Amino acid sequence: MNNQWSSPPAGGNGGSDAEVNAHLDGLFHAYRQACADPEPSVNFMPEMWAKIEARQASTTIFNRMAKALVTAALGASVVMGLLSASYTPPPTSANDGSILQALANDHAHDLEPLQIERISELEQQ
Amino acid sequence: MLVEFELLQQAQRGDASAFNQVVTAYRRRILGTISRLIGRPEDVEDVAQEVFLRLYFSLDQLRTPEVFEPWLYRLTVNASYDYLRKSKRRPESRMSDLSEQQVMMADAAAGSKAQTEEGEKHRVRDTVQSLLSSVSEEDRILLTLKEVEGLTLRELEKIYHVSENSLKVRLFRARQRVLKSVKGVTRRRGNSASSDDGL
Repeated sequence: MNNQWSSPPAGGNGGSDAEVNAHLDGLFHAYRQACADPEPSVNFMPEMWAKIEARQASTTIFNRMAKALVTAALGASVVMGLLSASYTPPPTSANDGSILQALANDHAHDLEPLQIERISELEQQ
Repeated sequence: MLVEFELLQQAQRGDASAFNQVVTAYRRRILGTISRLIGRPEDVEDVAQEVFLRLYFSLDQLRTPEVFEPWLYRLTVNASYDYLRKSKRRPESRMSDLSEQQVMMADAAAGSKAQTEEGEKHRVRDTVQSLLSSVSEEDRILLTLKEVEGLTLRELEKIYHVSENSLKVRLFRARQRVLKSVKGVTRRRGNSASSDDGL
């Protein structure tokens, strides 16, 4: 085992930057050696496959629900489309237009062109 | 790469035996990386299984063989992040939290001829995990990948999808913080030693 890390730079100032850097590199190297890759347990693969299957099952349920929702939404759209196509609006009267149309009808006489002759008559009166 | 691309392609097509071979080829390496990233031996297998589970469900997105390993590392890093976020735990060992006397005793014990190699390894793990706890989880993982796992900047670039310069800056800062902790511990040891000399 690499033992270079266990002799840190001594002294009250904590050692020079180069020494501390080298010490840290030694520490990391020793750490890598001290933490060997662990052996997987015998249950590693079976547990992993159990998790995969559980995730697959939940994904399948979610997919089915999503498909059912999409189908229901599609059906509702078709029904609403058919209803709106078969809808016939009641006959319209003169005032059944827009609010602008209604106002125009109501004040039609105010919008007549000015009669110059009438103004002169008024002035004479 | 530890496996042939054809094997990956078979696994992509849903061949369970091919996927098993891929897992068998990489699991020790992934277990090792995770154990060094999360510092919790009892949870390492769980996190590794999560990595391979994510791999299984995203394997069909793989197009070229050269991105497989960086991608697997990315899954490993992400699963480790998720675990750390969920558990909000740090490695148990805290050499820097020990009293001066305990540090001295640990040093003395480690320095004696009767020390076992296992005890020495344990002390290294304690020390490094304690030093790495002085930086954020993200920086600790980045530093571990670079300094302990030995990944190159180019490999890290592929894993993190950030430029090499940004990685250099981040690594430099993280290392500076760890160095500061090293100096702190060394200073404490130096002071303890000089006070002992005076006795």
